Amino acid sequence: MAIEMIMPKVDMDQETGTVVEWTKTDGQQVKEGETILVIETDKIAMDVEAPGTGILNGISAYPGDVIPIGTVIAYILEEGEEVPVAKAVTPVPEAEVKQATAAPAGDVPATPVAKKMAEVHGVDLSKVVPSGTGGKVTKDDVQSAITPPAAVGGGQVIATPAARRIARISGVNLSLVQGSGPGGRIQASDVESFRPGISLPAASPVQSGESIPLIGMRRTIAERLTASYQSIPHIQFTARVDMTNFVKARKDYNDLALERGDEKISVTAMLVKLVAMVIADHPMINSSLVEDSIILHRDINIGVAVALEEGLIVPVVKNANQKGISKIALETTDLVKRAKEETLVGADVRGGTFTITNLGPFGVEQFNAIINPPEAGILAIGATTQEVIALDEGTIAVRPIMRFTLSADHRIIDGAVAARFIADLKTTFENPILMNY
Amino acid sequence: MREITYLEAVREAMTQEMERDSRVFLIGEDIGEYGGAFQVTYGMLEKFGHDRILDTPITELGLTGAAVGAALIGMRPIAEIMFMDFTTLASEQLVNQAAKLRFMFGGQSTVPMVLRTAAGSGTGAAEHHSQSFENWFVHVPGLKVVMPTSPYDVKGLLVSSIRDDNPVVFIEHKLLYKTKGEVPEELYEIPLGKADIKRAGKDLTIIATGIMVQKSLAAAEELAKEGIDIEIVDPRTLRPLDTETIVGSVKKTGKVLIVHEAVKTGGFGGELAGVIAESEAFGYLEAPIIRLAGKEVPIPYNRDLEQAAVPQIADIVEKARELATLKV
Amino acid sequence: MKLAKENAEQYLLQMYQIRAFEEQAEKSYMAGKIHGTMHLSIGQEASAVGSISTLESTDFIIGHHRGHGLCIAKGADLNLMMAEFYGKENGYCRGRGGSMHIADIAGGNLGANGVVGGGIPMAVGIGIGLKMKGENQVLLAFFGDGAASTGAFHESMILAVLYQVPVVFICENNQYAMSFSASDWTTSKKIAAHGEIYGMAGSCSTDGNDLLEVQSAVEEAVKLAREGGGPSLIVNDTYRWRGHSKSDRNRYRTKEEIEEWKKKDPILKFGKYCVSEKILSEKEIEKIKEHGYADIEAARVFAEASPDPRVETLEEGVYAP
Repeated sequence: MAIEMIMPKVDMDQETGTVVEWTKTDGQQVKEGETILVIETDKIAMDVEAPGTGILNGISAYPGDVIPIGTVIAYILEEGEEVPVAKAVTPVPEAEVKQATAAPAGDVPATPVAKKMAEVHGVDLSKVVPSGTGGKVTKDDVQSAITPPAAVGGGQVIATPAARRIARISGVNLSLVQGSGPGGRIQASDVESFRPGISLPAASPVQSGESIPLIGMRRTIAERLTASYQSIPHIQFTARVDMTNFVKARKDYNDLALERGDEKISVTAMLVKLVAMVIADHPMINSSLVEDSIILHRDINIGVAVALEEGLIVPVVKNANQKGISKIALETTDLVKRAKEETLVGADVRGGTFTITNLGPFGVEQFNAIINPPEAGILAIGATTQEVIALDEGTIAVRPIMRFTLSADHRIIDGAVAARFIADLKTTFENPILMNY
Repeated sequence: MREITYLEAVREAMTQEMERDSRVFLIGEDIGEYGGAFQVTYGMLEKFGHDRILDTPITELGLTGAAVGAALIGMRPIAEIMFMDFTTLASEQLVNQAAKLRFMFGGQSTVPMVLRTAAGSGTGAAEHHSQSFENWFVHVPGLKVVMPTSPYDVKGLLVSSIRDDNPVVFIEHKLLYKTKGEVPEELYEIPLGKADIKRAGKDLTIIATGIMVQKSLAAAEELAKEGIDIEIVDPRTLRPLDTETIVGSVKKTGKVLIVHEAVKTGGFGGELAGVIAESEAFGYLEAPIIRLAGKEVPIPYNRDLEQAAVPQIADIVEKARELATLKV
Repeated sequence: MKLAKENAEQYLLQMYQIRAFEEQAEKSYMAGKIHGTMHLSIGQEASAVGSISTLESTDFIIGHHRGHGLCIAKGADLNLMMAEFYGKENGYCRGRGGSMHIADIAGGNLGANGVVGGGIPMAVGIGIGLKMKGENQVLLAFFGDGAASTGAFHESMILAVLYQVPVVFICENNQYAMSFSASDWTTSKKIAAHGEIYGMAGSCSTDGNDLLEVQSAVEEAVKLAREGGGPSLIVNDTYRWRGHSKSDRNRYRTKEEIEEWKKKDPILKFGKYCVSEKILSEKEIEKIKEHGYADIEAARVFAEASPDPRVETLEEGVYAP
């Protein structure tokens, strides 16, 4: 007996719901109570559970569709059961929908769906022409920005028949895929490379605790890291650094900043500046492997990994080698703040050529990070702790010691190249004035 | 194996079938002493005599009708219309009569005739001696339409056409007559309605007819140097069409370029595109179906204009490359 | 030589069958039972019977769109003919041909044709085939004055003579193409003259309403053809009482003209002849007429009871396997 799944009413004054994402797809096994859909109402994103156990099929509402509550949008079927013939779901035109009044504090007013899409695709919301009520950026607007000439009115995704077929089979949401074809058309290869190796579980695993759906940012991270890990041969180099002079240099900078009433110079800012200056002498580190060519990037854009509750985001300090440390401090503070507030825009996270990730504050001694594609390397900063070291003269001393680990793409960066870079980094960390030498 | 020309293969097919089956005879203009406009029937009058090689005055309609009538009464005539342009004059007997008699009479009769004709441009024969109308006849239920592209194919397909109990329009390309290839000496059949993959590949499917098969093969060699691997499908029979082979190829490559000499608008390419779009292959397309065909002009006299009016190897290379690299 | 009684009976019966068939066809049509249109040959019975009575059963005819009479004269099964006229599955052509395209291939009737002059070029080919077969068979190829102006006719005349085909071309000049008056450009005599111009041995024109005159001329031509003497062109001067087709308003001719020709009714003419020559009595003629009409009535019943073709069978029979 087919079980209808309807667009639920969750708020008192709610008339419609917007589909954000299906986490299961046509033909897949679902369990009653399992979250299989994320919707959005005026106020908030909501998880929607399967109303029964069986095979999900007949999905008739797609990401971005605004559906009146009570409308049947899918069915849970028994084995061999056919999808009942139902009248077509007609989404409510976006103009009629009351947009969220409480938009998170940020520069650009946009619907939550639009923000999510922009975030995933790295679209700069401030550059998107808004068409929603009150000058809000809608999902259609973001879609247009993603696929400019090919975008069809109504936010339709332009994809080849082959791409659509593969997306359908593998449960990929086409609106999340970047198209590489003419005019941003999504090709089959785009869909295939969008989800390499990841497949949603065929049957829901036995749950004893809370189940967090792999959607949104979490999913994107999972996919990208898997791609990176599976396709890039990582080599890792760890060096031990005496941070005495680093700490002193930072103190000196901060005294200056205090005097001038400027932004405090954080450890992050120091790291960014330092690494950027050293990279300037090692262009191979600042590169990307694109098909058969190694692209040496002109600009040195350092990404700083920022931990968020739901995952990780990497805002980028552009041209870090050309900016003074005070400026970098200002920028990184702002970026980190906005990262935590979830108000970063696409431009903030795009264009990075090298990443620094710092787990020192958490007390992690040393760790190996996974490269952030399409970059060639990532530097993992460990905690600085007082350790006993042997000096050249044979005496011992207690110094602040930090271990950093470079993970590099071995296709581009040989051991020697990496070693030279590491050596340079170590030297500069241990003598920060060298960065301007 | 010995090599003979496409023209010799046509002659051999007819000669051997006439030796085997006394019901087969030829009728056409200047096919006797003259040996045929392209010398296809050269020597056949000596062999078979006036009773089986019927030379006619200028009577395209009359001779075609005669073939229909003779077939109706149980003979197996092969009529020749020397230039496809003149099938216009014979259309009444071909389209209204030959194609329809079996159906119209409720299956009481058959019309086992072959109408051979020479199509295509490139010889400077201009507007009235260079056209390609295959799609006109593809459009008529009751006719079969065959367009062989190699000496091996033309002999086997002509034998099958002669033995087929339906009226077959058999279209030879003038520029193919002198091409050489390996042809078995004995009689053999190539079934109608079966395409041939002239070149196997994986990046792009070219479906070509007539002389465009040769041009596409040359283009494929060029593009192989660029790492583009092209599959060339030669339908050989346009009606009935081997959709299975075509669909299979498009599913494999996801990209298809259709090349024919005849004018693009209303040409056979539209039919092929429709067949592909309606088939399972649709879900495997990575790019639009592209047709490269004759320009919207009658065939001009001036050599450069004549060349420019139909696809050439360079055009195929360019379009195929564009499609293979997903510029479209 | 005197006309044998059984022959006279047969000719008369056939003519009455033709007349009855045409009249019934008209009735059925006007009652709304017939799809499409029809072309009646009332008034041309002598041309059909006179010509075809000269043939052996192994000989052939090929006809035109006004060909019901030709089919009957060639010995068609009236039931199957009527069923085909009605478009039924057990008609000669399984309902696919209808009035204009009736054929009885096994019976030597190679078909009516919807294109004026469509059968003439085929006639040449049939003749070529018959000659190649070498069994001394002959073809009568019927067409009208309308076809005599087509390119197909003239090309076929040339080829027929060139290949000396055993074909007797018979032009039934009923004075009008569709509405175009034959007399505006030709006469039966002139059309017949083409035979001579093109080189045919036995060409002439006849009074198409005189069965015996027609028969005599065609018989001679058939003999010539059978003996290898080549084709002939015979023109039977006759008249159709009804319009070209059902939609014909007869605007191109006068009532008087039609009445004039009705007086030359070929059936009555032949009947009179038989009576005066004491071959048949009036009573016998009356009986034959009844017989003929009864045959047609039976055919009508048969046809109306016959099934329509099933739509699922639409695509059958386009190609031979």
